[in-house]
Amino acid sequence: MPNNQHLARSSLTITLAVWKALFLREALSRIFSGRAAWFWLLAEPVIGIVFLIIIFTVIRMRVVGGMDIAIWLTLGMLGFFMFQRTAMQVMNAIGANRVLLAYRQVKLIDTLIARAVLEGFLMIFISYILLAGLSLFGYSVMPDDPLLMGGAFFGLWCTGIGFGLIASVVITLIPGLKKVVKFTLGPMKILSGVIFPISSMPPQIREWLMLNPVAHALEAIRLGFSPYYHAVPELSVIYIFICALVTVFFGLALHRRFALRLVAK
Amino acid sequence: MIIVNDVYKRYKTEREENDWVLQGVNLIIPSNVNVALIGKNGAGKSTLMSIIGGVDQPNKGYVERRCRVSWSMGFGGGLQGELTGRQNAKFVCRVHGHENDIQERLASIQEFSGIGEAFDRPVKSYSAGMKSRLQFGMSLAFDFDVYLSDEVTSTGDLSFRKKVADAFKKLADHSSLIMVSHDEATLKDFCTAGILMLDGKAHWFDKIDDALNAYKKGMSK
Repeated sequence: MPNNQHLARSSLTITLAVWKALFLREALSRIFSGRAAWFWLLAEPVIGIVFLIIIFTVIRMRVVGGMDIAIWLTLGMLGFFMFQRTAMQVMNAIGANRVLLAYRQVKLIDTLIARAVLEGFLMIFISYILLAGLSLFGYSVMPDDPLLMGGAFFGLWCTGIGFGLIASVVITLIPGLKKVVKFTLGPMKILSGVIFPISSMPPQIREWLMLNPVAHALEAIRLGFSPYYHAVPELSVIYIFICALVTVFFGLALHRRFALRLVAK
Repeated sequence: MIIVNDVYKRYKTEREENDWVLQGVNLIIPSNVNVALIGKNGAGKSTLMSIIGGVDQPNKGYVERRCRVSWSMGFGGGLQGELTGRQNAKFVCRVHGHENDIQERLASIQEFSGIGEAFDRPVKSYSAGMKSRLQFGMSLAFDFDVYLSDEVTSTGDLSFRKKVADAFKKLADHSSLIMVSHDEATLKDFCTAGILMLDGKAHWFDKIDDALNAYKKGMSK
């Protein structure tokens, strides 16, 4: 009897089925909703990076810390997008998926997890395409230490999830703060050393800038790409993961604490 | 059987705490009777429905579902506007663990809803009636013991109502319906028993006519 079998679904089976359903649904609406949504998904980071490369070429900056400027910028932007896009997607998941809570199998946190996983996949895909594109222009795109580079990307993804989890609770409970969160992410790009090298800053300022886990991760990505890169001396990979762990834990705790208020209309 | 035990519920708004919507609702709803949920606007019908459906949580008390209960079908609830009817249906099939026979389920949903080619158009282009057709089609594709309908039938046309009524007659031996509606004829068509919501409490009536009479008496006061 298929019915009885269905009755006995365990919590884990239900959750896995929900994650799969949500993931496929998110992928569908992210990639195919709107005209050429899949194109803009890829074009947005590409245009951003190419634009910066052109500006830096015009001001005749060719090398940063022993690394070609195009590679330096691309790695920094990709890493930053990994953080920012994951954070934004997770942050906005509650508002976008509220209708789906009509099915009691779907919990709020499931929708956030599905979005985070999808964004991670998309960013890996986009990174491969961008690096493949650069190799067509004659750049060497094979990372020297793929483990360090991949680890730093993973750290950025986790930190993005943590940031998104916390921000999702904050903007749902206090809707006015959404704008504040959005414009903190703007300066974050500069402060994380995507456009200006942090290693060129004086140590007193550097000390403060390196409190930001994203800055650590971006430097780790570049160091993982080329061992000859002059990374910031304060660089610590462990610090990225400590920050990720703390923010994810805190975000989950907030979700648990305010579970009822987040769902309530 | 659904057991509602001493359920209290109130909604919080930004500044103040509102009055209690439900104040100690006690009910035992058997799963072989079609039940109408009646009461005036704001009496807590939809609140009770969403608590029974497991979507909203009571402030106090609990609900025990000793059978398989559908989600609460309300105004376009649970449908994502930018996705097509088919994509929405697929999502619901997956959530309910029907990955293997998804094609058959989709076929039955499309057939029951009878919206034809619109099944492959975005839900946001649907009329209210088409939405409720799709919602009923989706929930009838699964073998629930109790179906929750919150005013869904009221947007359907005659042929659709007949279709739904026939479907529930066919299911009568093992499934039932709990429905909210303000249309007396619909309620009498579908239901045999009634629950009257009054002052945050629920009153059970074995006969729908008694429930409607009590409701009218309360109105004329």
